[in-house]
Amino acid sequence: MHKSRRAFLAGVGAAGAAGLAGCSGFELQSGNREPPLVENRPDGVYVPTHTEGMGMASMQSDGGYSCALTYSFPHRFWTITGSDTTMVEVGNSDALHLMPIVWHSETGIVPSDVNPTVDISRDGESVVDGLSPWPMLAQRMGFHFGDNVELPEQGEYDVTVSIGEGGNRRTGSLADAGAAEFEFTLDYQLSELNDLPFEDIPPARQGTLGAVQPMQMDMVPLMQAPTEDELPGTVRGTAESGDAQFVVTTIDDAGAFGDDADQQHLAVSAHTPYNRYPIPLMSLSATVTRDGETVFDGYLNEWQDGDLGIHYGALLDTVKEGDELTITVDSPPQVSRHEGYETAFLNMSDATLTL
Amino acid sequence: MSDSYGIDRREFVKAAVAIGGASALSACLDRGPEIDVPRGPEDPASAFPERQHAWNAALPTDDAGNNHHPRHRVLLPLSYGDGMPTDAERETVEAALAGLERAYERSAAGLLLTVSYSPYYFDRFDESLPESVDLPEPRALADFEDPDADDIDAIVHLASDHGEVVMGAEEALKGEVDELNGVSQPDASLTDVFTLGERRTGFIGDGLPAENQDVDGVPDDGPVPEDAPLYMGFESAFQGNQPGEDRVTIQSGPFAGGTTQQLSTLTLNLKQWYEQDSRDQRVSKMFCPHHASEGTVEGTGENLGTDPQMDDCGDPTETARSEGVVGHGQKMVDVREDDAPIILRRDFDSTDQDRAGVHFLSLQRTIEDFVTTREAMNGDDVASNSAVGQRTNNGILQYIDTVRRGNFLIPPRSLRALPPANPADDAAENAEVAHA
Ligand code: HEM
Repeated sequence: MHKSRRAFLAGVGAAGAAGLAGCSGFELQSGNREPPLVENRPDGVYVPTHTEGMGMASMQSDGGYSCALTYSFPHRFWTITGSDTTMVEVGNSDALHLMPIVWHSETGIVPSDVNPTVDISRDGESVVDGLSPWPMLAQRMGFHFGDNVELPEQGEYDVTVSIGEGGNRRTGSLADAGAAEFEFTLDYQLSELNDLPFEDIPPARQGTLGAVQPMQMDMVPLMQAPTEDELPGTVRGTAESGDAQFVVTTIDDAGAFGDDADQQHLAVSAHTPYNRYPIPLMSLSATVTRDGETVFDGYLNEWQDGDLGIHYGALLDTVKEGDELTITVDSPPQVSRHEGYETAFLNMSDATLTL
Repeated sequence: MSDSYGIDRREFVKAAVAIGGASALSACLDRGPEIDVPRGPEDPASAFPERQHAWNAALPTDDAGNNHHPRHRVLLPLSYGDGMPTDAERETVEAALAGLERAYERSAAGLLLTVSYSPYYFDRFDESLPESVDLPEPRALADFEDPDADDIDAIVHLASDHGEVVMGAEEALKGEVDELNGVSQPDASLTDVFTLGERRTGFIGDGLPAENQDVDGVPDDGPVPEDAPLYMGFESAFQGNQPGEDRVTIQSGPFAGGTTQQLSTLTLNLKQWYEQDSRDQRVSKMFCPHHASEGTVEGTGENLGTDPQMDDCGDPTETARSEGVVGHGQKMVDVREDDAPIILRRDFDSTDQDRAGVHFLSLQRTIEDFVTTREAMNGDDVASNSAVGQRTNNGILQYIDTVRRGNFLIPPRSLRALPPANPADDAAENAEVAHA
């Protein structure tokens, strides 16, 4: 590293050369404890090879939001573009899987319309800056943002997490939350990291359809989609596509969603099977037909709402019993996947429901 | 080992530009073969175009038919301090600049330069800038950015294919050398009038990013393609996606012939780009998903010739709906006028602070033209109506962080030395005085 630069600096005796010397030195033995992937993974949510515990630096609040800086072992995950996934393997220098969990304090919603930014420094020297971690779906945590990060050595780091204004499809106090910034001290110690639980799942269970249990952390809300009972409005039933569940409800007073003409808000709460985590970042559209005639054909847009959670919705004139709803997945969820989700929510056919 | 003209020397020169100063310059000159740069004219004022930014005619065209970009850059920020510029100071600045122009031919092999002034500089005058100039103070242009304002008064942009030339020019502007390229330099220097801010440096062109990827923000295993002109691995400025200089030139008023310059400092995070995205993901996010699935872009995209074929990409929102991703370039096609963008990109990469970055420098008739383009790049509507996130799969937004923004006016050459805010008013006043 810095070969020519260092040679040059040596040549002209400029100050600052010492700052470049510390590039090597600390050898990470974090190693990668992950067992090999399950062979013949099913095309759906499946039980992964192992579970990992999570550590937390601390929790902070600002601007209507709270943020917990959490971490785990660096681990493999899959990024996604369209329906193409790319497996990300743990890099030699990866120290942690870092997860800044930001939620709206009042509603507990982890918003999907903002991307947090992470800056990490050590003794005032920047280590990582302007990192925008991936939106992710994990079986123990649900929807969050995270990435494997490299840290040069053990010790204390200053970590700043910031988020900007959210999008324009928010209701109630979610719409009032502005930009926010949270500051943490993260003490990275291998011994502490290695003390986190790491449990292999019995081979017989690995790769079977199902999911591991959600993990509850102190102070951090577990964001699950509302149950059918908890959902507001008239719940019309549940349809399925590519392992995702689409729970459909209609809200009569659609004022919060921009209605001014007595329309209804047709809301689709999309969630994972088993753990009921909301699935954000899809392109959904819907048609409603009545007696063979199309009465609605349009986008279901992603909303952040305290009662409905992250959901997809559209305004339409009054729904009648017996109407046929077809939900089309124009793009599967563009969230990166932790193990056990990477083969699910990819080939998503139309979901239909009689309202 | 490569010979002294090869990579070792190229890296060495680039490192010297990044470090700067008289000792770096002399180390460079000692080490390499003497470079042979033609001198400029005796009287640059009569030989040079009124548009400082009229570089295209002085730049060679590369094999593909695109404008070549001078490979080495220095940006010198200048603070004037309080008070009003005097005519003597104007003469000093003009003399210092003209000294460089006599020393080096006005070309990529020689030296290209502009001087520009910020709204903070113009604030000192009682008059405001004429309406024909749109130069607001910089502000954040995306919900997720929080840039510092570049609040210096002026900035000099030096560009050349030879690192020694930009370094030599810089030393001359600081009054550190008596002779440049065999041409004696005036006593006048910019430092007589301004205080120098922290210099910014950079480079662009095949090979340079790969040779300079040992910086923060780029993974250690050297993923930047050897022939890439920019860190992210692709050709960017094609003849077919750049406007002509006329489109970005101010047409009327006292600053006619000038242009505005938007200068932002971006930092890059390329671990994700190179280690967590596939080639197809990169092409989708940079160009558009169509180009990825059709294999339109080979390598760095040199195969595209002069035309990145953005017409084939389709409507950004429709693509985002059906593909879950939208391309960087694709989002800005709607902003085009007469089938060309309205900003002229002259950006380059940087290793300042040992950090992979970009000095995103663009020229446009009004800063508003930049804002319009940048808003299209944010893709708020696209994100709001599709699976694309605020930064996720939303072009290249995830990988770049805007840490500073500045707006500048590049006045026409005749007004480049400490211009008043409204030369016409001044001229009119002077005329009145003369008649009184
Ligand atoms: C790291 C920073 C950037 C890189 C590496 C980059 C790279 C590229 C590349 C490779 C292209 C050509 C391919 C294509 O058209 O899709 C392009 C086009 C373009 N970029 Fe960027 N870009 C960057 C930042 C910006 C910024 C900050 C702006 C300003 C808003 C911008 C404005 C444009 C425009 C206007 C085009 C042409 C669009 C058209 O074809 O109409 N770029 N960029």
